[in-house]
Amino acid sequence: MVKILAIHSFRGGTGKSNLAANLAAVLAMGKRRVAIIDTDLASPGVHVLFGFTPTADQSTLNDHLEGMVPILDCAHDVTPDEVKRSHGKVWLVPAAMSSDRIARLLREGYEVERLNDALFELAELLRLDVIIIDTHPGINEETLLSTAIADCLMMVMRPDRQDYLGTAVVVEVAQRLDVPAIRMVINKLPSYFDAQQVSDRVSSSYHAPIGALLPLCDELLTLASGDLAVLRFADHPWSEGVRRLAQDLAVSVL
Amino acid sequence: MASLLALEPAGLRRLLKSGLRQGIADSLLRTLVAGELGCEPGAAVVDQLLLQLQEREWLVRQGENWKTRLH
Repeated sequence: MVKILAIHSFRGGTGKSNLAANLAAVLAMGKRRVAIIDTDLASPGVHVLFGFTPTADQSTLNDHLEGMVPILDCAHDVTPDEVKRSHGKVWLVPAAMSSDRIARLLREGYEVERLNDALFELAELLRLDVIIIDTHPGINEETLLSTAIADCLMMVMRPDRQDYLGTAVVVEVAQRLDVPAIRMVINKLPSYFDAQQVSDRVSSSYHAPIGALLPLCDELLTLASGDLAVLRFADHPWSEGVRRLAQDLAVSVL
Repeated sequence: MASLLALEPAGLRRLLKSGLRQGIADSLLRTLVAGELGCEPGAAVVDQLLLQLQEREWLVRQGENWKTRLH
């Protein structure tokens, strides 16, 4: 049965989409069939990491939520060559990038249960092992749905006071919705921070285990979200951290 | 989904959460309700609660399963 991994943060700029895309690649390199869904309908972006931009004739999640196309039409094969060689598959369900489409969906809304049904229909049609949901930061209907249906919620945060406070709100929501597993991911950790101290503080503050402590690094900045670090900088500590997170998930959630 | 988050008691929230994803089969739903209410799945109170949830259209039948609809 498909497992749902929701990747969320309270604030923007935490590296949530970057983590979602890289985690998708690592999990797929373990011969899994993975789909990544961009539910950040207000500010989509995860497609960039796969070098994919939907053309006018390629459907997006918005098209399905507006009742125009089946969900299968919105899933695009973005499997990187390295993943293909490992016999894994990655599909991307992107959100629309044009401002009028974004504004229309936000203005008119949609039944969020339609998103729920779409995910599980897609899982069946593509025989998916994992669905990774890249959410909009903060709390909205898509976020609440993805939290409610997640097998594991990964909360991405920076070691920043505003992130600490906001993350507490989302973790409280997750606990209220009985999410079976939560992993805290601290991203963009400056080298001058004491990693152990940060780890202890986060895990004790939220009563949730640490999934990964990922360093702030220049190499990722050079990619400018145009590629996957786990493939281009496979030996970098950031990539190693993502692989360890994937191993943890493989053992305890998948 | 905001309605689900706000629902009390927690047992009702758990019950309606079980109707997300692919939904929940009738027998499992009855077992879950009975567990929350501390009675047998065949008890009249189980039927009453399920009927009320259907009347509110919070639970709808979709194929073999019950699904949660909170709009």
